[in-house]
Amino acid sequence: MLEFLTQSPHFYDYVTLGVLFLGVFNVGEILFLLYNKAKVERSELKRGNLKRLAATALITATDPAELLPPPVAEDEFAAYSEAIASVLDSFEGEVAVKAAKLLTDLGIDGHYRRLARHRTWYKRGNAIDILSSFRLRANREFFLAVFRSEPSTDVKYRILYGLSRLTRDHAEIRELAELLSTLPYLTAKYTEDIFFNIISALKANGREEEFGLFLKEALDDKKVLNLVKRDCLTACHAASCEKGRSVLKKYYEAHEEEPEIQIAAVRALAKMGDFVLIPPALRHADWRVRLTALKYADLCCTDLLPEIRCLLRDNSYHVRLAAAMTMARAGGAARAALTEEAASQDKFAAAAAAYALTQGAA
Amino acid sequence: MAKILIIDDDETIHLIGRAYLGKAGYEVQTAFDGPEGLEKAAAFNPDLVLLDINMPKMSGFDVAKKLRENAGTKHIPIFIMTSLKQDSNIQRGYGLGIDDYITKPTNMAHLKLKIDKFLEKHKRP
Repeated sequence: MLEFLTQSPHFYDYVTLGVLFLGVFNVGEILFLLYNKAKVERSELKRGNLKRLAATALITATDPAELLPPPVAEDEFAAYSEAIASVLDSFEGEVAVKAAKLLTDLGIDGHYRRLARHRTWYKRGNAIDILSSFRLRANREFFLAVFRSEPSTDVKYRILYGLSRLTRDHAEIRELAELLSTLPYLTAKYTEDIFFNIISALKANGREEEFGLFLKEALDDKKVLNLVKRDCLTACHAASCEKGRSVLKKYYEAHEEEPEIQIAAVRALAKMGDFVLIPPALRHADWRVRLTALKYADLCCTDLLPEIRCLLRDNSYHVRLAAAMTMARAGGAARAALTEEAASQDKFAAAAAAYALTQGAA
Repeated sequence: MAKILIIDDDETIHLIGRAYLGKAGYEVQTAFDGPEGLEKAAAFNPDLVLLDINMPKMSGFDVAKKLRENAGTKHIPIFIMTSLKQDSNIQRGYGLGIDDYITKPTNMAHLKLKIDKFLEKHKRP
């Protein structure tokens, strides 16, 4: 073929044609990109204007639906839902009530409920995310119904996320935990977020003690994965759930073989100012538990000094260093002991002590 | 007329803040991100800054730090207004010298009362 072209008397005509074709193709491509850029910009502008209009109507009008043009196109629904979700996220009181009413008055909620049954999974997932952002209690039954018929696991995770923001009592937490156990464990962050949302939703409704009840029930429940229990305690720590305090010690005692659960229990309790688990955790066989306890040991009491000092000779480098840092932070007698240890015959203990003293000075 | 600067990347917050606080007799200016907020804080010299944490370009913590480091803005009271509820964030905020940490969702009527009281107590000479 190449030979035929190069030996042809029309070779230069072919080359010219080729170059011309490429030139036309490039120009066409640039025009196509420019057209799409302008289209996106127009759409962004329209969305911005509609969002501003929706926010202004929510502030100024008694019935904002009367002022706003009903959404027809997908980007109009998106603009309204973004504005309303932002209001619901940021405000409560009169403006939030009006925003929630607007969702039904303009048919936005209904539109996304229809999309949640779309044949394409990512459209269903997107619709579920938007419905979740509205936090409408009325959507709870809908989410449960969709979960039962949904074939995609990805969408199911999103449905559970939406449900977690609507939780009101421990029966609903149990239901959610059961649904969660029907899916493969995703990530620690996801599960922690689910329980963090649950605690936040309960706190917002003044029903934080419901989470304490759930924790009690889940303690001996074999159906709840240990990983889920651990994430539950981590969420307790992150959301400062005070009502779970009494049961956290039981989690520590009941999960001798699960250091990660014990670490989560130690951290959650210490954050609430309860250091009851620190002494046993300092003597724990697993170095990660000892390390966690050391992070809080300087805050609890001075009579732990001999035990912390012993940990300067621990097998784990991390524990030795953390013990030295804890003694440096504690100050007073602990710091004096640390200065003695810096001159110790034990090279490992001396190095950790010297490091902590220089860090303290810095 | 007391002046309030809202630094938040969400335009809805600007609109609602302007409407409520403007109606209450405050002069309100808004900024979409940290650098713009710092610029406006220096030029506008507000009596109070309402500051979000999650913003593009610069986080609210960095903005608060910069405001406190700058001799011209270190006196300006800062209220952080955010949906981040974790204790670690609250501690970090107060550690930077903010005056209040308000978690979203916020009731605008309550926020207005809080601002009224605060500014009454900390009136500039």
